Amino acid sequence: MILRALLLLSLLLGGLVAAAGDDLVVIGHSSLPKTDRVTLQRLYTGRIVSIGAQTVTPLNLPPGSAARDDFLQMVMEQNEEQYTGYWLVRRYVGKGSPPKELGSVDEVVRHVVSTPGAVGYVPLSKVPPGANVIFRR
Amino acid sequence: MQKRLLSTALLPLLAVMAMPAQAVDLTWSGFGTFGYARSDQSFNYQRFISDDGTLKRDTVLGAQVDARFSQEWSATVQAKAAPSDHSDSQWQASVAWAFLSWRPSDDWLIRAGKIRLPMMLNTENSDVGATYDFARLPLEVYSIAPTTDVIGVSISKTWLGDSFDWTAEAYTGETSTYWRYYGRDRTMDKANSPGSWFLPIDMKSSGLVLTARSFEHTFRIGYHEGQASRPGEKTGAGFEYLNPPGVYLLSSGGVDKLRVPIVTLGASVSLPVEFRLTGEYAQAKVESASRGLSRWGAYLALTKRIGAWTPYVSYAKTKSTDEALGLYQRINANAGVVPAPLRNSQTLMADITAPYDQSTIALGTSFAVSPKSLIKTEISRVRTGVASSFIDAPAGGDSGNRHINIFSLSYSFSF
Repeated sequence: MILRALLLLSLLLGGLVAAAGDDLVVIGHSSLPKTDRVTLQRLYTGRIVSIGAQTVTPLNLPPGSAARDDFLQMVMEQNEEQYTGYWLVRRYVGKGSPPKELGSVDEVVRHVVSTPGAVGYVPLSKVPPGANVIFRR
Repeated sequence: MQKRLLSTALLPLLAVMAMPAQAVDLTWSGFGTFGYARSDQSFNYQRFISDDGTLKRDTVLGAQVDARFSQEWSATVQAKAAPSDHSDSQWQASVAWAFLSWRPSDDWLIRAGKIRLPMMLNTENSDVGATYDFARLPLEVYSIAPTTDVIGVSISKTWLGDSFDWTAEAYTGETSTYWRYYGRDRTMDKANSPGSWFLPIDMKSSGLVLTARSFEHTFRIGYHEGQASRPGEKTGAGFEYLNPPGVYLLSSGGVDKLRVPIVTLGASVSLPVEFRLTGEYAQAKVESASRGLSRWGAYLALTKRIGAWTPYVSYAKTKSTDEALGLYQRINANAGVVPAPLRNSQTLMADITAPYDQSTIALGTSFAVSPKSLIKTEISRVRTGVASSFIDAPAGGDSGNRHINIFSLSYSFSF
């Protein structure tokens, strides 16, 4: 009985740790609706500037951060080189500049919570209670 | 017109300065290319390349400021330093772009100010070598438009599809530019001194371009209507043969405005195992003494991505109309018939027909030092047919039936 309870507990904790360590979610300001991968791909490549009828400001983490690498792989289906190369061309054909970069996950969370229209990706473990998760895998 | 155009182009800069600092999200970036090129010929090709070697053909430095006032409103100013567009001996700092952007919704983008035109696939980013793998964009095609920058308005509408985004872009604007000529034996002003001169031209341009783009492929088709005029002068005069004394001369007359229609086509297609095939075509029609400017140009390039390396092979060709090349040949031949004192006048007349008949085969590679910087090297071989105005022909000779081997090495970066 004790053994079975310990096993159940370890499975539960293991699942939570895995979720906290691996899962990346996209959070948005409270007024934003749920969205999908294609919409996020368009948003983070500058091809759209709104979700639904609301103007959106996407936020990035700096190159080299683990969450950014996960986001590019999971949502954008690109690597850093492809994504940087895409924006290099887009900037120099005069079609806009890449999403604003913030220095840390905590900054992204603070900015999203306090700024209407802001969207950012963060590890699940960093999502504050009550945050508006607009996309998860 | 120059002052009026300049003040219009500076409007975006003033708009940026007028905004409260906290309301503007300012980002700036820089780009540049240090490029060396050397040929095996003593005469200049593409203004600067000879057996002396040059840094002037490909070297450029620039900076760009993007100011975002909101998701709808932004402004972009790009400045660059490069060899002058109206002197072969000077460098020039200029504002390449300066425009306000308004994006009222996902699918509409309106830009006003100094904008670069969506002519060929890489026209807009041609100054930024880090954005393409070729050591040099094929001049046979990329030189066909008399101007690539205007001060005006561009309106684009995008339709997002499952596999392709379709964008229709219409623009209109005007600019002051220069057409370069080279006289192998004399210029328009100096009777016995070879050299280049730059004809000031006012250009009005309008066009409509349709682009289909996915992450893998790009297709583009465009129609552009230019109108060239010379400040205070007629243009578009032809030639007349005066006998005696048996010489070709520029005829009097001409028109106030010269029509320059241009058609452009381009495709860049991703193929299996990291191959990419890119091809572009452009055709211009100019009815003037410089009728050699009526020409077509095309190239085909195959690239292959191998890690950080992207080797490529390309073939490019341009040719003026048979009528234009025939006229050049008649006047050029006449230079060998007329009495010696009249010879230079006939080679000058032949040179200002601006004939083009050449092809280039290039083999090169880029090496990605980082996602934003490339080292490139290329070996190319140029072969001219009847004549080519890309060559500053040596005195007493001409630009026909020439073979030029060129080595290029460059480093392009952005930050």
